[in-house]
Amino acid sequence: MNAVQQRGSLTQVELAGVTGLSPATVSNIVKELTGAGVLHTAPTSRSGRRAQQVTLARNLGLVAGVHFGTRSLRVALADVAHRIVAEQRMPLPPDHRADAGLDRAALLLTEMVESLEASMSEVLAVGVGVPAPVDVRTGQVSTLGMLRGWDGVAVPEVLEHRIGVPVHVDNDANLGALAEVRLGAARGHENVLYLRVSHGVGGGLVIGGRLYHGRSGTAGEIGHVTIDENGPICRCGNRGCLETFVGAPVLLGMLQASHGSLTLPDVIARAHDGDPGCRRVISDAGRHLGFAAANVCNLFDPDLVVVGGRLAQAGALLLEPLRTMLEQRTVPSTAGPVEVVASELGAAAEVRGALAVALDRVGIAASMVATG
Amino acid sequence: MNAPVLSLRGVSKSYGAVRALVGVDLDVHAHEVVAVVGDNGAGKSTLAGVVSGALLPDTGHVERDGRPVHLVNPAVARAHGIAAVFQDLALCENLDVVENIFLGQEVTQGPLLDEVAMEKHAWELLNQLAARVPSVRAPVGALSGGQRQAVAIARSLLGDPRVVVLDEPTASLGITQTAEVLNLIERLRERGHGVVLISHSMADVQAVADRIVVLRLGRVNGDFDAASTSYEDLIAAVTGVTPSGRSGRAVRADEASR
Repeated sequence: MNAVQQRGSLTQVELAGVTGLSPATVSNIVKELTGAGVLHTAPTSRSGRRAQQVTLARNLGLVAGVHFGTRSLRVALADVAHRIVAEQRMPLPPDHRADAGLDRAALLLTEMVESLEASMSEVLAVGVGVPAPVDVRTGQVSTLGMLRGWDGVAVPEVLEHRIGVPVHVDNDANLGALAEVRLGAARGHENVLYLRVSHGVGGGLVIGGRLYHGRSGTAGEIGHVTIDENGPICRCGNRGCLETFVGAPVLLGMLQASHGSLTLPDVIARAHDGDPGCRRVISDAGRHLGFAAANVCNLFDPDLVVVGGRLAQAGALLLEPLRTMLEQRTVPSTAGPVEVVASELGAAAEVRGALAVALDRVGIAASMVATG
Repeated sequence: MNAPVLSLRGVSKSYGAVRALVGVDLDVHAHEVVAVVGDNGAGKSTLAGVVSGALLPDTGHVERDGRPVHLVNPAVARAHGIAAVFQDLALCENLDVVENIFLGQEVTQGPLLDEVAMEKHAWELLNQLAARVPSVRAPVGALSGGQRQAVAIARSLLGDPRVVVLDEPTASLGITQTAEVLNLIERLRERGHGVVLISHSMADVQAVADRIVVLRLGRVNGDFDAASTSYEDLIAAVTGVTPSGRSGRAVRADEASR
């Protein structure tokens, strides 16, 4: 059941592989649950063979995912089979505050649910991603100064009060990592490093198939790995953090004198068109990322490095220098250098991760009681 | 940075004894969203009127690509590549999306309307904006506020203008529709249009604008870089707590040195 829930839909044979049960047992369980109205099966074919596609039945309710980026808000609604039924993105002002931002998210979510002709009571859980370290046990933003106006805000409390639905919050890069492992480029891998390179730089670590949070949620904060001990002061208060070299304000600042005011998508578009200045800025960012990622790889030796976030849209311009640097700076292994791939879910990775967290926490048993 | 595509130089406009605009300078570059904010009666709508050719300034002039132009009516403004979408949108409820977009500018093939070409072009325009409209043959009366705004903006893009003026595009819209309109504005900017966004919603303006010009009692009371200006600074300039924004002066000095 959990296996179906996590992957949205899969065939009975795949289900047997994932759960480690024998195909006959899986077939029996699926038959039983289909009879109970929890699962839905449809004939399909995999590599030429007949197979049974297994999904969760639709009437079990909805879950919502909310992703606060530094400059945008994304809300998605999905059924319990992880099929997205509505999605909306909204640009946000710089330095948006927690109260106004959460208000907007709550309003947007309510309107989206209404537009589906559903009611808020059908929403079983909400997953929220914020671009700062979060202590997942208390739901509090656990660092100071990383996200102005959000310090110490207990997101679940504030949001639950507004929408009356259980809320689970995590760092956005962690959610991106989870989504890539469950649904994206890192499917089938147990140990993955995910880099989210957008306005800020974040990271998520998946170890043994599970997100690693650490003591207070700051695990994987690769944006604040020191790469130059005499470097500029970072918003976190340290010096020479990775983010002071590859954060969007820094990249755009470097181009200010020669190119004027640009946005991150502008830089990527121009780099693709061959603008040498923009290409240089992106390739340097790739090298800096490789430098920091190499340290992480030396400590954790992941199966795969996935690069997501806005800047990942630059593709090989960013990834090639990153790979080269990573290769040079990691311990040579007989298995060869670690593979680096671009995110498969792109800008939607974080919100998909938020949906996944919401789904995980729903607990199908509880929802079965609720829907009778 | 390149020369502005549209400039206002010393524009003043009075209605009888009421001075709606006093010596206003404004520059709009290609690929840039310039927001104009201000209190009620600050002169925002008058400014939109002057830029779009609906109003003639008493003194001062409008420049397109550095050359003075005389915008005697909206059609002349359109010919100069300036299109405007006003608050009331001026759409016909009973006509469908294609008919609204091409109203008064129909594509003809001999004596007949070329419906196929118009429908194709309508989809092109709407797709450019990544607008979610269910069908181009649906009557506009059946669309949501955000979708209507998308149709009105698509119509303004006919003839590929350099500058698009949006007067209060998010007023009276719900949050989902506001989100759609803000996404539309980002798309316009990405496509290289200069956008003049007139609004009183600070959150919307700060979300999409590159520069924010504050009008107060008909005068420019600060020209801010949107990325580095706080909400409080903007409110101070709108209400006139400071005579001119702190960062406003810094930005202008910075521009002068370029």
